Order: sequence, then structure tokens, then C-alpha cells
Amino acid sequence: MSKRIYSVLSWAVLLLLAVYFLFPIYMAIVNSFKTQSEVYRSVLGLPTSLHFDNYVEAFKKANMLRSGLNTIIVTVTGIVGIVVCSSLAGYKLSRTRSRLSNWIFMLFVASMLIPFQTIMVTLTKMARDLGLQGTPFGLGVVCAGLGVNMAIFLYHGFVKGIPRELDESASIDGSGEWKGFFLIIFPLLMPITFTIIVLNLLWLWNDFLLPVLLLNDYRNYTLVLTINMFFGKYSRDWSLILASLILSSIPIVLVFAFFQRWIIQGITDGAVKG
Amino acid sequence: MRSRRSKANLSLILFVLPAFILYLLFLVIPMLKGSYFSFTNWNGLNKSYDFVGIKNFVEALRDDHDFRSAIWFTAKYVIFAVVFQNVVALLLAMLIESRKKGKGFFRTIFFMPNMLSIIISTFMWVFVFSKVIPALSEYAALKFLDLSWLGDPNVSFWTILIVSLWGGVGTLMLIYMAAIQGIPQHLKEAAIIDGAQPIHMLRYITLPLIVHALTICIFLTLNSSFKVYDLVYALTGGGPGRGTQVITMNILEEAYQGNNRYGYASAKAIILFLIILVITMIQVSIMKKREVEA
Repeated sequence: MSKRIYSVLSWAVLLLLAVYFLFPIYMAIVNSFKTQSEVYRSVLGLPTSLHFDNYVEAFKKANMLRSGLNTIIVTVTGIVGIVVCSSLAGYKLSRTRSRLSNWIFMLFVASMLIPFQTIMVTLTKMARDLGLQGTPFGLGVVCAGLGVNMAIFLYHGFVKGIPRELDESASIDGSGEWKGFFLIIFPLLMPITFTIIVLNLLWLWNDFLLPVLLLNDYRNYTLVLTINMFFGKYSRDWSLILASLILSSIPIVLVFAFFQRWIIQGITDGAVKG
Repeated sequence: MRSRRSKANLSLILFVLPAFILYLLFLVIPMLKGSYFSFTNWNGLNKSYDFVGIKNFVEALRDDHDFRSAIWFTAKYVIFAVVFQNVVALLLAMLIESRKKGKGFFRTIFFMPNMLSIIISTFMWVFVFSKVIPALSEYAALKFLDLSWLGDPNVSFWTILIVSLWGGVGTLMLIYMAAIQGIPQHLKEAAIIDGAQPIHMLRYITLPLIVHALTICIFLTLNSSFKVYDLVYALTGGGPGRGTQVITMNILEEAYQGNNRYGYASAKAIILFLIILVITMIQVSIMKKREVEA
């Protein structure tokens, strides 16, 4: 009997929470297809006809193409930088057992506790001095710098599971350590590389504060910044705003649909391994 | 022997160098500079500034009413956010794991918000609170919904929690699900044979064996809740007045929005760093002791 009550109760709780989770998304989608006056007349109802103009207008007015491209530049630069630099460092730090390597590793790990707000003021200035402020590429480089510590931590843990004999075969035949690393070791790191790509993709694609501080020209804005500016400009025009919110979320939702299994794996690995 | 070791060290340095340069430029140097400026009255623009010792820290903690109320508001938020997010995430993980069908479906629903940018998803909630809920309260005569969700700091506190719960639960749920899957099957079976009720299972089997996940999840939520910014920015902008201002907003206001007190803002940022450091250290060291091996 109590088993039955438990099962009914668990259903009720799950469904209730599912409603809470889907509600804002459902409301946003439904109202994005209404005309402006329809939104004000009946928020709760279904649209009388599918009004796609909002999407076309949002796409043009918010410059989605340009900001989308900027976002891609930031994300790709950041991820490539993080993966290349961290795989090299994480692998070597894990393999070398010396006081020096211990020290360097501890430095990287300890810095993971630094809140972004503690460094943002001087980081912005540093980026300006190095000529990295104001461009998506520069932002990507800065992001790589902020992301290497976590990636090194993950690579360092993963490398322990790779037999040391493979290191020798990677360097023994005269191809040199570096070539050996990229040809033999790096492919073996693929599972954790994928995790790192996914975790950083979510961060870089959606980040707000760092781009705000480093990109001052709206032509260089990422998607999130553009939407933020767009919201300020058209905040009364809800159907247009909602269409822009949905439009800008589509790329990352598609990524999720394709890579769902790896994303879930990535997050659980990122949290518990290392 | 000696040359072999120095050769190994050289190769270590070469492999680590690219990462180390990036790390030095964008993390270490800004951190060191920030710590230094926190003892000055630099405004971020002028060439000259004075060294003022701990004056900034004293002022922030003793005289700065806005900073103190931001700390208080953030602390209140952290407590509720950490508890709510972890309780709901754990509940969801257990409910979903105990099901045979629909695991993937429910997991996707509860994880979905984590895909979206906080800014973008919070604007959806602004729509819900400013348009949908007023319409609901009128249409269905649900008078209790007729609140100033975004305009009254006391109510906005709960609004912020509702949205942060929505966006924060997914990742934690995945971690708890993985931990629950890791509980050895024979322990669960033995408990069921002994006639354990669900509540006993939770108390004596599940919770003790997933303490490692609790350690991580509470650490993650503490960390992210103290640093909360995007969500409050998009939802209330810290307002009305400074009624919902969090620490990070106060720091930004000090550094950029008109005040331009870089040195003072750096001192506040160091205070935030120390708060997070001390609290998470205490949390992790207490919880590590309670972890058991299955």
C-alpha cells in the first residue's frame, strides 16, 4: 500500500516540477508568435495565427548573423587555446614526478578558487595593455587564460589512466617528444578533451560579464550581449524580444540535442574526476 | 644523472609554458595587481595614486552601508539558494533514478535551463513575472499571485530564488544521479529484504553513500551563489534602489559605474575572495570527514 502511495506521490512531484521548468519556455514560445497587440490582449491564450515576422525582424534588428559569428570566434579561440595548452601541460605535469611539477600543478589548482570579480578590474586593464580588448579574438585569448587551470586539472587526472609504456613508444622512434605527443598521446586523451570542450562551450557561449568588460563596440558584441542591448531597446515589444531570445538559444539547444550523452557525461566527469 | 634531470625539467617547462603564460597574464598578474591596488586609492585613470594601507578594508567593512547590505543580501541568498537547489536536485535525482521509464525525458526537462545563457533565460522569466503572472492572477482570480515580483525587494528576494532554482538544479541533479547509480546494488537489495521503507533507504543507504556528491554540489552552489551576478542583473538590476544588490554588483558599481574607485573596488573584491575561501574551506573539510567508501 505504502508503495503505491509513494509511486503516485513521486509522479505528482515530478509532473509539478516539470510544469515549473517548462512554463517560462512554453510562454516565451507561444507569445513569440503573436503580434504585439495580441500579447497585450491575451498573454495566456494560443496565438490566433503563427506570426513569423517577429523572428525575421528580430534576426535583422538584433544583427544575429554578426553577433553569432562573433560568438563563434570567441568560443573557438577560447576552446582551441584551452585544449592545446592544457593537454600539453596536464599530460607533462602528470608524468613528471618532481618538486617543480608538483609546485606548478598546485599553483594551477589553487587558482581555481579565485572569483572572477577579484581579478576583473585589473584583468580588463591587462587585456587593454596587450591589445586584446575590443575584439572577439582577444576575448577568446583571455578566456583561454581563465580556463586553463580547470582543464589542466582534468587532463592531469585523466593521464594517470594511460599506461606509461605508451609514452616511450611515442618518443622512442626518433619522432621527438612533441610529434609523439600530438600523434599518439593526444588522440588517447579524446574522451576528456570532449568533456573539456563541452564544459567550456557552455561557459564561453553563454558568458556575460567578461564580454561586457572587454567588448566595448556593439559591432563586436556576442549573442548574449546583443540580446541584452536589444532588450534595453525594445523592452516593451515583448513578441519581438521573445523571438530574439528563442532565436539566440537555438544553436546551443541544437548542440545539446546532438551531444546530450556527452554533455551529461562531461558534467559528471568534470565534477567527480580529476 | 644531473643532466638527465635537468633535461626532464627543461622538457617539462616547454610543455607547460604556453598554458603558464596565459595563466600568468590573465590570472596571476591581475590577482597580484588587484591585491596591491586594494591598498591604494587609485581611480583607474590617473597615473598617480597613494598607498593608503588597510583604509579601504576598514571603510568597506565599517562605514560602507551599501556594501554591508549587499553582503547581508548575498548571505541570505546563499543560504536559501544552496539549501533549495540541493534539496530539489537530490529529490529529482532520486525520483528519476527510481523510475523505470522516462528517465531520459525528465532528465532533459530539468537540465534544459542549464543550456541557455543566464541572461537570456532570465529575460524569459521577466516576461513571466511582468506579463504572464498578472494575467493569471486576473484571469483565474488567484489573488495571492498579485504581488510586485520585481519591484519590492522583499518579494524580489523570492523571485530571484525561484529563477535561480530553475537554472541551477540541472547540473547538480546530474551529479547526484551519477552518485546514486554508483551505490552498489546489493546494498539496496539487502535493505529492501530487511523491509526498509523509502525514508529508511534515504537515511541509512542513499545519503551516507553519496556524501562525496553532496560535498561537491554544496561546494559548487556555495561558490556560484556568492558570485551571483547575471541573474540578479537581468531580473531586478539590483533594484529597486539597491534593495536587491549583491556583492558582485556593488563591486562593479564601485569600479565602473561613475564611482571609478578601482582601489576601493579591489579591496571589496579581495573581501569577497576571502569570504568564499574561508566558507568553502570549512565546508569541504567538515564534509570530507563524513565521506565513506561503499
